Amino acid sequence: MPNVKNWQLGRDVAYPYPESRPKKQWAIVFDLNKCIACQTCSLACKTTWTSGKGQEYMFWNNVETKPWGGYPLAWDVRILEKLGRQDWAGNGEYLGKTLTEAAPPKEWVLHWEPTDEDWMYPNIGEDDCGGGTVDGGAHLPSLPHDKWFFYLPRTCAHCTYPACLAACPRKAIYKRDEDGIVLIDQLRCKGYGECVRACPYKKSMYNPYTRTSEKCIGCYPAVEQGMQPQCVVNCIGKIRVMGFISPPWRARADNPVDFLVHEKGLALPYYPQLGLEPNIYYIPPINADPGYLEQMFGPRVHEAVARYRALPSDPAAVGLLCLIGSTDRIIDRFEVKDGKASGYDADGKELVTVPVSEPVIERPAWDARIGAIRNNTP
Amino acid sequence: MPQFRTISAAATLSWLAACATSSATLVEQAAVPMTVVPVAKVEADLSAPDPWAAYWNASRPASFVLIAQPMVPPRPERVTTDGIQVQAIHDGTRVAFRLRWQDPEVSEAGRLGEYSDAVALQFPVANDRLPPVTMGASGMPVHIFHWRAQYQRDAERGKPDIKDLYPNASIDMYSMDFKDAAGGSKEEREQFNPGVAVGNPQSFRKSGVDEILAEGFTTSAVQTGHGAVARGEWKDGWWTVVIARPLVIEGGSTLREGAATSVAWAVWQGGEREVGSRKSVAINWVPLKVQ
Repeated sequence: MPNVKNWQLGRDVAYPYPESRPKKQWAIVFDLNKCIACQTCSLACKTTWTSGKGQEYMFWNNVETKPWGGYPLAWDVRILEKLGRQDWAGNGEYLGKTLTEAAPPKEWVLHWEPTDEDWMYPNIGEDDCGGGTVDGGAHLPSLPHDKWFFYLPRTCAHCTYPACLAACPRKAIYKRDEDGIVLIDQLRCKGYGECVRACPYKKSMYNPYTRTSEKCIGCYPAVEQGMQPQCVVNCIGKIRVMGFISPPWRARADNPVDFLVHEKGLALPYYPQLGLEPNIYYIPPINADPGYLEQMFGPRVHEAVARYRALPSDPAAVGLLCLIGSTDRIIDRFEVKDGKASGYDADGKELVTVPVSEPVIERPAWDARIGAIRNNTP
Repeated sequence: MPQFRTISAAATLSWLAACATSSATLVEQAAVPMTVVPVAKVEADLSAPDPWAAYWNASRPASFVLIAQPMVPPRPERVTTDGIQVQAIHDGTRVAFRLRWQDPEVSEAGRLGEYSDAVALQFPVANDRLPPVTMGASGMPVHIFHWRAQYQRDAERGKPDIKDLYPNASIDMYSMDFKDAAGGSKEEREQFNPGVAVGNPQSFRKSGVDEILAEGFTTSAVQTGHGAVARGEWKDGWWTVVIARPLVIEGGSTLREGAATSVAWAVWQGGEREVGSRKSVAINWVPLKVQ
């Protein structure tokens, strides 16, 4: 029955179609330590793609607070609970069942279906802490303390084995060979909502006005021009980078996404145990609860946290993280040398070069030239 | 079996009674299990579908068993509609089917996660070699007439707008509405309604019944209609839907007096979240006898 290779789980998994990896695979890496939930990404996406009728409730990109937030309501808890135990072996192999393997006999995937009410609270749980209850306001008398939360920005993961694609009875969903972007054919779709039911990340959404289902399109018109998606280039925290990820056996250390995911193990897929090989990757937040992080990112998360803490001694990784957000173009290759990080496109053309450390200039407060005290107060 | 004979005899009596009573009143007759659907000729205008017209007295209701779609996932967990009652008549140019099945509530869909009650009639395009009853096969097309309560709502009250579906929804503006002010086109305004922009039939106001050609699962394609009409009413836990179509549709299916053809059907219970392949279907083709 298992018929496709899933490198995130270290084993083959069951999928209704044979393995067919695209020539290139769209991917985004997010550094969750830097996200401030400003929602600029959500708005950049919204104004670009979903300002029409029937799309009022849609956030193809959203940012939610973990552990309590979720759009739609409790999307993660509900599918995890259905899936049951999710154990990992010491060697990183996933021992539990994936959504396709746990599918009831008459279904393609294990799933639940949100109602409209589940979509009505896109920012529920914002800034609510995990780590025990906080009654009457937070009182944190000592450090370190056990309260934590983090922000989780999410787009469609353009999975290697999409549940939405597997579940569509009309075969209206396809994965592009040129970039791995998963699209719903708006002409073929009949709005059955099977993709809405099947996607565990709940990134397929039904449009009640056009009566078809819609989803994140990976900003493919931009990607085709060598540009990164709107949610990426508008990120004011410069927490994310879009590129093309290789499977580990073809990883290239100078490819920014491959470097962060494969070379350094700094970025991890979220809920890989669902078995879809999702292609959005997260640098885990180092101050969140390790148990929670393991549930979300798998057992390799502890290593990733340790590596992030050790970043000061890793100039290449620091350099790449400085490069992120410095260009609108897709970085095919990067290089860190002489205190500078450079990004190049697929033709080898230099896109941008940034200093790894910003120069610090100290000025005396008294400016003798104008006979006045200067300060930084606007 | 004796019990069946009793029912059958009682039904026959009620049918004879119906035939004998005033032609101005419809008498709901008990349905009997049958293996064919006779299509009686009536002197009536079938261009306007009427589930309660007295001319239905001319057709004895035949009952057929339905099963949960058994072929491809996603499939219904259980049989939600276990049977359908069928009457059929023609007026020389049109054939009308009166379909009745039990459904505890009306489901018209519209909002997120809501699905519509629906019924479909299926005919073979070629009568000499019957296609698989499961929506045909490559090179063996079927011709489908698909009624949905949702489509009827469209026809009667217009395609619902967001305000119809969610009266309390509020939005500052749809930015593309202002395209007109700058001399923009309808196409530009519809850029943010992808289904509309690409011309998906699903995104436009429906007439009540869709005409569809299919060559197997996943292949159904809505066609330009040939004047099929439908009208359904839900009463006391039963849907009664009439679908009327021309007897002869060139390029589609044809029904002719004396010529053999067949029919099949499917029922969806919107309240049970049935849609697409989640449906109750006929076990096999049923021969039609056009009289």
